[in-house]
Amino acid sequence: MTAVVEQRLDFRAASQRAGEGDPAWLTPVRANAANLASEMEWPDSRAERPWKYYDISGIGLTPETAAAEEHVTCEGLERGARVSLLADHGTPEADAAAKLFASVVTPGTDRLTALHYAYTNAGIAVHVPSNAELAAPVRIKRTASGGGLATPHTLIITGANSRVTIVEEFTSDGSNIVALPVVEVAPGPGSEVRYYAIHNWGGNTKVFMHQRFAGTQRDAQFQNLQLVLGGEVVKGHLESSLVERGTASELLGVGFGVSNEHADFFTLQDHVGPDTRSDLVYKSALKDDAQSVYYGLTRVGLGAKNADAAQENRNLLLSKTAKADSDPVLEILTSDIIRASHGATAGPVEQDQLFYLQARGIPYKEAEAMLVRAFLEEVFGRVPNEELRQELVDRLEEKLD
Amino acid sequence: MTALLEIKDLRARIGDKEILKGLSLTIQPGEIHAIMGPNGSGKSTLANVLMGNPNYEVTGGDILFRGESLLEMTPDERARKGLFLAFQYPVAIPGVTLVNFMRQAVNATRGHEVPIREFRETLFEKMDLLKVDQDFARRYVNDGFSGGEKKRAEMLQMAMLQPAMAVLDETDSGLDIDALRTVAEGVNTLMNEKMGLLLITHYQRLLNYIKPQFVHVLIEGRIVKSGGPELAEQLEASGYDELEAQLATA
Repeated sequence: MTAVVEQRLDFRAASQRAGEGDPAWLTPVRANAANLASEMEWPDSRAERPWKYYDISGIGLTPETAAAEEHVTCEGLERGARVSLLADHGTPEADAAAKLFASVVTPGTDRLTALHYAYTNAGIAVHVPSNAELAAPVRIKRTASGGGLATPHTLIITGANSRVTIVEEFTSDGSNIVALPVVEVAPGPGSEVRYYAIHNWGGNTKVFMHQRFAGTQRDAQFQNLQLVLGGEVVKGHLESSLVERGTASELLGVGFGVSNEHADFFTLQDHVGPDTRSDLVYKSALKDDAQSVYYGLTRVGLGAKNADAAQENRNLLLSKTAKADSDPVLEILTSDIIRASHGATAGPVEQDQLFYLQARGIPYKEAEAMLVRAFLEEVFGRVPNEELRQELVDRLEEKLD
Repeated sequence: MTALLEIKDLRARIGDKEILKGLSLTIQPGEIHAIMGPNGSGKSTLANVLMGNPNYEVTGGDILFRGESLLEMTPDERARKGLFLAFQYPVAIPGVTLVNFMRQAVNATRGHEVPIREFRETLFEKMDLLKVDQDFARRYVNDGFSGGEKKRAEMLQMAMLQPAMAVLDETDSGLDIDALRTVAEGVNTLMNEKMGLLLITHYQRLLNYIKPQFVHVLIEGRIVKSGGPELAEQLEASGYDELEAQLATA
């Protein structure tokens, strides 16, 4: 009998170096995260369902892994909206960020979030004051380069009855990068937050992200879109916690996978409070050897009276070797609900539709591309801002062409 | 003179079942032909095989379009040569608008990009001809269309593509009398001396509005009788049963 002993990885010294210049409040958060990252194991593919199709144990992250070069810009702030950086202090925004940082996605979620908090420096917080309605989207643009570990952090804090759309685009160069992004959304009561992530990572970037919406204020609304355009691996853990009465979330995902890209999402629609609503549509079209994994849990707790939950995952397989694994799961503890539905499909383009388009002179390839667009169109159709919707469609078109 | 469409001893099957058993038919420019036949006689198979539906297999014979065999051509190649099929059951394509679809189709069949203005002008003109609302084109192709709307959409596509040879598969089914009249008027306006038209129908009703010079009766995968418009009237009066009985005793 042989015992496999993992060499202990101690991230504390590296974390301390990353934290030079931290404001005082951040030091204990980072130290705690470094301890967790050193103590925890990698998520286990055999034991943890969201990791069934991706074994991260060979990822090769060690205390010697260098930090990637990261840049972030934020534009489109208006109507009193502001942005603060992790290093800021002495402003009301910095104080608010200090209070909520690491509370929506906690460092101990798994070893990846622990590492994120142990290393992150590229953190920004977007603050939207009460009753502010931003007409145009706030744009966050991020780049990572030079290889190593990237740890982008985005915290969104909104006041009561505010409305904001935030589009964050992630890009990286062709170097070997492991990115561990975290997005925390902390809305005020009655606030409506739309957060769209465009994943345009380089071909050698592996992404393991966490995003969570904390619906702890009444009637807070959340719309989330993941548009996956590039990246060797894009694996996401997305969660909406519908705790207070009347909170709602709509989780959307669109992916077009080529070559050996692997997109992999775990979603949780967690209905805790009464009158909560959630909807989810994830769609991917897959070519070549691309793989899509979707595992989603809709949980309706004992207190979630009148919950309305829907969950749908659809996959279009455009080659014999493309692969989709889909597993939407319902876990319902109360019978007093409006709806709880889920569905999943995977299959090729409808032959009847192809024939119809071809019968009008449209060549096979073009006809197939039209049907891929049509298939993904439904998801974009849910983006209420028409200009932005078109922009997102165009971004996808670039990849389709 | 080379025929527009020449079907020679065509045999075809779907799965293991042979449906067309040696069908021959020649259509010259300017001619309107009607193929009539009972259910299961092979009418829809003929339409699908002409257009190249991959679900059907041609096991013998040939289809010549202006002297060139279509059999090895993909459906889109046939369409670009000038063949058009108005489907009996047009399929819905949610996510693709009719206007976008027609623009792609027009560009593909013309072989070059038609300027958007020119395209729009033609589209609105044809929509007027077929009495359809302008917002019709912004809807998804056949998605949630009524039976009549689907048939009008097919005719609109035909009007936009201006094919040399059009096959109308049961275009009268699902149409009320007003819609039928509109569709027929549209077809009659589009028809010209260079074009060929093949009407595939179970009933004579459509033939009151679009007048064929030639009528053929299709039974069990073969044309058993050909004649002029009077043949359609005979069939309407006596039905297919009588004809089938006559053939059996002959």
